[in-house]
Amino acid sequence: MTFWDKMQKVDRRILYVILVVFVCTGLFIPVKIPVEPDPSSKDFYATVMAIPEGSTVLVQTDWTNSTRGESMGHFENLMRLLMSKKLKFVFYSAADPVAPQVARTVITRINAERKADGLYVYQIGKDYLDLGYFANAEATNTNMGTDLRQAWANRTSKVPEGGEIDIFKTDVLKDIRKIGDCKMMVVVTASASIDIAIQRLANKVPITAMVTGVTGPGVLPFYQSGQVKGIAIGLKGVYDTEYLMANGINIKDGEAKPKVTWAKNSSVDKVAEGKTFARGNQYYGTLHVALVLLILAVILGNVGMFMSRRAARKGGE
Amino acid sequence: MNNSIFLLAQNTENFWRKLPGQGLVIWVIIGLLLGIALLFAFTQVPSNLRRWIIVGFTFFAGLPYVLAYLWPKPIGADLQNDIPRNMSEQIGFTINQAIDPVGKITNVLQAFLLGVGIFSLVRVHLTKVRRKSENWGFSTVLLVCFALMTTVGFMDWRQRKFMDDNGLLNEPANWGFFQYANDLLFEGMYQQMDSAMFSMIAFFILSAAYRAFRIRSVEATVMMASALILMLNLMGALTYAWGTGIENLVVQTGNPFFMNFKLNVMADWLRSTMQIPAIRAIDFGVFLGALAMGLRLWLGLEKGGVSS
Repeated sequence: MTFWDKMQKVDRRILYVILVVFVCTGLFIPVKIPVEPDPSSKDFYATVMAIPEGSTVLVQTDWTNSTRGESMGHFENLMRLLMSKKLKFVFYSAADPVAPQVARTVITRINAERKADGLYVYQIGKDYLDLGYFANAEATNTNMGTDLRQAWANRTSKVPEGGEIDIFKTDVLKDIRKIGDCKMMVVVTASASIDIAIQRLANKVPITAMVTGVTGPGVLPFYQSGQVKGIAIGLKGVYDTEYLMANGINIKDGEAKPKVTWAKNSSVDKVAEGKTFARGNQYYGTLHVALVLLILAVILGNVGMFMSRRAARKGGE
Repeated sequence: MNNSIFLLAQNTENFWRKLPGQGLVIWVIIGLLLGIALLFAFTQVPSNLRRWIIVGFTFFAGLPYVLAYLWPKPIGADLQNDIPRNMSEQIGFTINQAIDPVGKITNVLQAFLLGVGIFSLVRVHLTKVRRKSENWGFSTVLLVCFALMTTVGFMDWRQRKFMDDNGLLNEPANWGFFQYANDLLFEGMYQQMDSAMFSMIAFFILSAAYRAFRIRSVEATVMMASALILMLNLMGALTYAWGTGIENLVVQTGNPFFMNFKLNVMADWLRSTMQIPAIRAIDFGVFLGALAMGLRLWLGLEKGGVSS
């Protein structure tokens, strides 16, 4: 048996150990890597930053911790963006009963982070609303598009003054009559719930998305057609957003050349307050390591196959 | 001023929606009694007629959605707040108002299905434990965890909902037993196990990349080259270094054609020219199939399943 034959039959546990060691090492070395953000990420960031302060945004959060490597980074970035822009938001899930609780945990953490930084802390019933889980995404999105006030009728929320009031009497929704009055809908998802939202609501409210790397390619046709205004895809999308939050678009900031350039837009500010580089920065090095490992595995596997075949042919002759 | 108009808009009564008050309670009681009577009646229906009941319900549940899409309506009409001017508009308004209750009924049904699933799960595992069937220990663990999570989750929700008007429980410093227990079970265990399960995919991907991704044909070579460009484009450090090199080359040679060889440009071209049209073509076929299947289900033409 040649060296290459042995390589072909290497114990898979060795591969697993290599993966664990390299990936875990990457997690402990966060590096700020310069990137060229994807056009879809730039569109996402520019769309959020263009919303006037104090407006209301819908957040459909359909992810759970099974995809937290990507989705939690997306959701944290979204919360930091909305809070730094002083936008009000309503969050709910139409895909997973666990999703609202996961989102609540993140909001609590981001609020704690802002409190520690001396920034304004978002309050339920005043700055945001938690509507929980809706069991049927198709019917929920259709109802929201037909009549938001009927779809969410008789729902109440706690308010900072104490007690509960109708959600349409809170500061968040008091001026919202139909879904089109919301300036944007963001879908944070790891599933096809984004497709359902686009099909039912894309002509009624501007939709943007923060999706996993697996879901992303399926949403790109809707981005190309203009039905989705911007998408942050996968871990690269998380880091892109953080990079854009830190550097803005076409902002020179005392340097000879802007860190992020874009012919489509004159300039988009960086975020005014709070943390920018976070989970994306922490995981992005690991993504590099994992991709290098993956590429090496494909190359080594194929080289091994060719060498084994050649050795077998020579043996046959 | 505007706010009061909006609040009034929410409180309009129509055929499908009654306002809170004494009348509403009577309607709820009537609905409940009708529902129970209907359920009882369904159990008495001969089996040869059951198919037609299901077909009928499916048809009438789908009808508002189809009519709302097809029924002509005035351009820019606010179907919830405008007053219809003639019979045609009145029908259009009523159809659109019907979408909300039908949607809510499907939401309730979906939630009811969750309950049926839980009931079935508990029944199956209780039977296994009672009979001490194979692996009954796992069933015991499931039932204990289920009971624990439900109890703790419910108590935590109850305290937050009814006994915490000022939101004190949002601060961990004010937590009691049920908040800590819920945090341990949900955040500390369930969520971590969820992540751990999903992370195992990484091991399979690496193993598959090493053992199964073989270049045996021209198609496989093209696919691998495309995948390589897209994967390299995900690595910001490499894309940035490569791009800077290309930009320097363009400055030196004065030939902007080289800009096409930046990794992100190549990846964008692959995505927008190859990947997106292919996905769109697949989606087109899938949605045509879904439309045909939807029509067959709606019109009761589909054989098998619940309507057989």
